[in-house]
Amino acid sequence: MLSPERLALPDYEYLAQRHVLTYMEDAVCQLLENKEDISQYGIARFFTEYFNSVCQGTHILFREFSFIQATPHNRASFLRAFWRCFRTVGKNGDLLTMREYHCLLQLLCPDFPLELTQKAARIVLMDDAMDCLMSFSDFLFAFQIQFYYSEFLESVAAIYQDLLAGKNPNTVIVPTSSSGQHRQRPTLGEASMLEGVEASLFYQCLENLCDRHKYSCPPPALVKEVLSNVQRLTFYGFLVALSKHHGINQALGALPDKGDLMHDPAMDEELERLFKSEHGGPGL
Amino acid sequence: MIPGKYRSVSGRAANNVNCGLHLVIQTSSLPEKSKVEFKLNKETPSFPGRLLQHDLERNYSSRQGDHINLASSSMPSFPILQRSSEEKILYSDRLTLERQKLTVCPIIDGEEHLRLLNFQHNFITRIQNISNLQRLIFLDLYDNQIEEISGLSTLRSLRVLLLGKNRIKKISNLENLKSLDVLDLHGNQITRIENVSHLCDLRVLNLARNLLSHVDNLNGLDSLTELNLRHNQITFVRDVDNLPSLQRLFLSFNNISTFESVCCLADSSSLSDITFDGNPIAQESWYKHTILQNMMQLRQLDMKRVTEEERRMASVVAKKEEEKKRESHKQSLLKEKKRLTINNVARKWDLQQHRTPNIATNQDTKVSDSPSQDPSQLHGSAVVSAFPEETGSLDSGLTSALQGLSVTDTHLVEVDGDTLSLYGSGALESLDRNWSVQTAGMVTTVSFTFIEFDEIVQVLPKLKMKFPNSLHLKFKETNLVMLQQFNALAQLRRVDQLTIDPQGNPVVNFTLWKYYVLFRLSHFSMQKINGTEVTQNDMIMAERLFGILAHVASSELPQYRLISILGDARKKQFRYLLETKGKKPGLVNEDNNDSKRLVGENTNRATLNYTTRDFYNERLEEIKEKKKFCKMYMEDLVKEATDINMKNEALQKLWPQMFIELVRDAVIEIRNKNSYMKLCLQQITDQK
Repeated sequence: MLSPERLALPDYEYLAQRHVLTYMEDAVCQLLENKEDISQYGIARFFTEYFNSVCQGTHILFREFSFIQATPHNRASFLRAFWRCFRTVGKNGDLLTMREYHCLLQLLCPDFPLELTQKAARIVLMDDAMDCLMSFSDFLFAFQIQFYYSEFLESVAAIYQDLLAGKNPNTVIVPTSSSGQHRQRPTLGEASMLEGVEASLFYQCLENLCDRHKYSCPPPALVKEVLSNVQRLTFYGFLVALSKHHGINQALGALPDKGDLMHDPAMDEELERLFKSEHGGPGL
Repeated sequence: MIPGKYRSVSGRAANNVNCGLHLVIQTSSLPEKSKVEFKLNKETPSFPGRLLQHDLERNYSSRQGDHINLASSSMPSFPILQRSSEEKILYSDRLTLERQKLTVCPIIDGEEHLRLLNFQHNFITRIQNISNLQRLIFLDLYDNQIEEISGLSTLRSLRVLLLGKNRIKKISNLENLKSLDVLDLHGNQITRIENVSHLCDLRVLNLARNLLSHVDNLNGLDSLTELNLRHNQITFVRDVDNLPSLQRLFLSFNNISTFESVCCLADSSSLSDITFDGNPIAQESWYKHTILQNMMQLRQLDMKRVTEEERRMASVVAKKEEEKKRESHKQSLLKEKKRLTINNVARKWDLQQHRTPNIATNQDTKVSDSPSQDPSQLHGSAVVSAFPEETGSLDSGLTSALQGLSVTDTHLVEVDGDTLSLYGSGALESLDRNWSVQTAGMVTTVSFTFIEFDEIVQVLPKLKMKFPNSLHLKFKETNLVMLQQFNALAQLRRVDQLTIDPQGNPVVNFTLWKYYVLFRLSHFSMQKINGTEVTQNDMIMAERLFGILAHVASSELPQYRLISILGDARKKQFRYLLETKGKKPGLVNEDNNDSKRLVGENTNRATLNYTTRDFYNERLEEIKEKKKFCKMYMEDLVKEATDINMKNEALQKLWPQMFIELVRDAVIEIRNKNSYMKLCLQQITDQK
C-alpha cells in the first residue's frame, strides 16, 4: 500500500488518479440530498455504507449517467451490475434488438444515452442492419468495450479516418518538400483499393495514443496481440477483435470469461431460496 | 245501281265509292232500350220488324232481343246508319249500337238531335263520323279497339265519355270537351296523365287498369271529386293538393311503399276517402297510424270507417315515433361530433409526434367548425344526460345507451356503461370533476388514447381515488417506449387486465415486455394482458428473467439509498394528499393504509420506480447546486489537507537539522559549568 511510487506523486495528481475526490464529492452530495433520512441514521454509518458500496460496485445502481461515467471503477461496476441483473435474459436464449437492450440499460440507469448503445450495437452488427437481433453475450462484450473505453475509441476512430485518408499522424510534414507529399499519395491509392488500414501502422499510432492520453485504454501489449494476427483490418473489425479478446476482458476485470458468462452460482442459490420462500413451489 | 235518294247521303264519306248496299237501321218497339235493326238495302228499302239476312251475316240477337239489320259494303267504306222514322221519333235522343261487330263507326245519318250514343262491345278502332252529332252528351265506346282519342273535337256538349277497355295510349284531343263531367279511361295503356287541365267541370276521372307510374299534372281539375287509379304501377303521387274538390281517391293495387311518396295527400283538406290496399305500404307496421296521423280529415280508409279510437292510437304512436326520431337524431349528432373530435385529437397527436398529417384535413376542419358554434347547447344537454337519476323524462332505454359527457374540439371524455374513455391530454383534467358515486363506481375499464404516458402517470393517484373499481387499463397511442414506464403502474390499487395497443406504443415490439409487466406488477396477480390469459408459466418465466433485478434492487442497495428511494415514493403520495383540499378524513386514513400496504407487498420491487423524463431532469437540475457546493467544499478540504501535508513533509525534512541544532546549542551552553550556573540564576532573578 505505502509504496514509494504512490508517495512520489504530488497531492492533486494522486487524488485525481485514484478519483478520490469524485467519490468524496458524491458522498457529500448524497448526504446533503438525504439530510433528513440520514441524520436519524448517523453520518459515520452513512460514510461507511457509502464506501462499502463503492468497493462492492453497487453504488452505481439507479444513479444518473454522469456519475456512472465518471470513473473507470464506476463503469466497470455498472458493467458488472448489468451482467448480474440480466444474465438470466441471456441464459433464456432470447435475442433482442438494440432498443430492447437499451431499455434494459435504462432500468438500471434512467438517463443512459442511446448513442452509446447504438455504437455498441454497431460493433456487434459490423455497422450493418441496425435492427438485427443480438445475443446477450455478443452485446455485452461489445458494450463493455464501447462503454469502458469510449474516449479511447473516439480517438482511435479519428486515427483510423486519418489513416484511411492517407494522412499518417506520425509523420512530420515538411511544407517545403513536395516529395514528402508525393510519397504519401501512392499509399493513399493503395489504401483505398484494399479495405481498412495496415495493422502495423495502425498499432504504431495507437501506441502513441496510449502513451499520450491519461484516460484508460487497453493494455498496449494486448492491443499489439490483437493487431499482430492480421495484415489489414477495418475499424469495426478491430473493435470486434477487441471485444472478443479474453485477455482484455480479464484485464478489465468486470465480466467473467465468455464461457462462464451464464454462470453465477452464488446468485442462483440466492434466487432459489427466495423463490421457494415466495412461491413455495418448484424452484427455477 | 244505287237509287238516287240514297246516294246523296253517302257522299259524305271520304273515299266513298258507290256501293250497292246500304246500311239500314230500324228500331223495334221495345220501350226500355232502343233497339237497332240493320237492314239490308239490296232488295227493299225497309221492312219494319222484319229480319233480313245477309248471306255473310249471321242471325245475331242481343240480350233484349234486338233485331238487327246490317248492311255492309264490299269495299272499304263506312256503313251508313238509318233508322226508321218511328224509331227516330220514339228514341230521338238515344242510339244503341252495342255488340254489332262494328269495326268502324258508321255514318249516322239524319240524327243531329242525338244525345246518347252507345257503341259498347264492338271492334271499332277509330272514333269517326260522329262529328255531326253536336248535341251529343253521352258517348259510350266501352270495350272496343280504339287506339287514339280523336274525332271528338266538335262534341262541345259532351258530358260523359266512356272509353274503358280500349287500346288508348295517350290522353289527347280533349281540348274542346270543356263540359266533360265523367271521363272513363279505365283498362287502357295510358302512361301519363296529361292534357286534362282544362276540364274544370270534370267530376269523375277513372284511370284504373292503365300503365301509370306516377301521378302529377292534376292542376286545373277544380271539380274533380273522384279519382280512380286502381291497378296501375304508381310509385308516387303529386299535385293532389291542387284538387280542391277531391273527396275520393282510390290507389289500390299500385306500387306505393312510403308515405313520403304520397305526402301531398296530407295537404288536401277535401279528401275523405282513400284506399291503399294492395300497395306495399299497406303491409308496413306503421301504415295505419301514419296515414291517419297525417290525414286527419279522412273518414274512410280502405273502404272502412275510421273510428275515433284508431285516430287516437295513431296520434299516440306518431308522437312516440317523433320522440324516438328526435332522440336518435340527437344521438347521431353526438356521435358525429365525437368522431370529429377524435379525428381532431388524432391529427394533433400525429403532428405532435412529428408524423405526416392527413391529406384530407380541409374537409375535417370545415365540418368540425360548424358543431362548435353551439357547444353550449350541446354541452348543456349532454351534462343533463350524464346523470340518469335526475332526468326522468327521457326514455330509460335511451339513456342507458351512450352517454357523451364532454365534447369539445381538443379532447373527449366519454363514459359508456363500464368504460371511461379519454382522448387527448385535455381529457385528463376531467378526472378532477365531481363524478357521481354511482357512475364512478360502475367504471371498470379506463381507456387512454392520444395522451402521453408521462402525463397519464401524473394523474394515476387521482384515478385511483375517483374510480376505485377500475380494473382494466387500455393504452393506445400513448407513447410507451420504455419498460421502466410500467413501474409507474405499481402505485395503483389493483389492475386485473392490461391492454397495450401496438399502435403508438413501441414498447410492444420488445420481446420481454409482457414478462417485465408480470414481474413488476406481480402483486396485482393480473389475469390478462392484451387479451391473452396469464398462465402460471408466464409468471414463473417473469420471475426467472427479472428476479435478480428485484433482488439486486432491494438487498444490494445501501440502506440509505433504500430509504431515500422509498421515501421519495411515499413523499409523493403524501404531497398529493395535501394538495387535494376538502377531503374527508376517512379517505385520508384509507390512503395511509394503502401506503402501508404498499410497503408490505413486494418491497424488493418497490425501489423500481419511474420518474418521467421531465421530473428526472428537474431533479438533476436541482442537484447541480448541491454538487457545486460539494465540489467547492471538497476543494477547500483538499487544500487544507494538502497544506497540512506540505507542512508535515516540510517539517519531516527540516526536523533532523533542527534537532541537531537544538542539541548543539544546548551542549555549547552547558560546556562552561560556572558561567551556565550564573546564567540560570540570572534568569531566575529576572523572572521575579
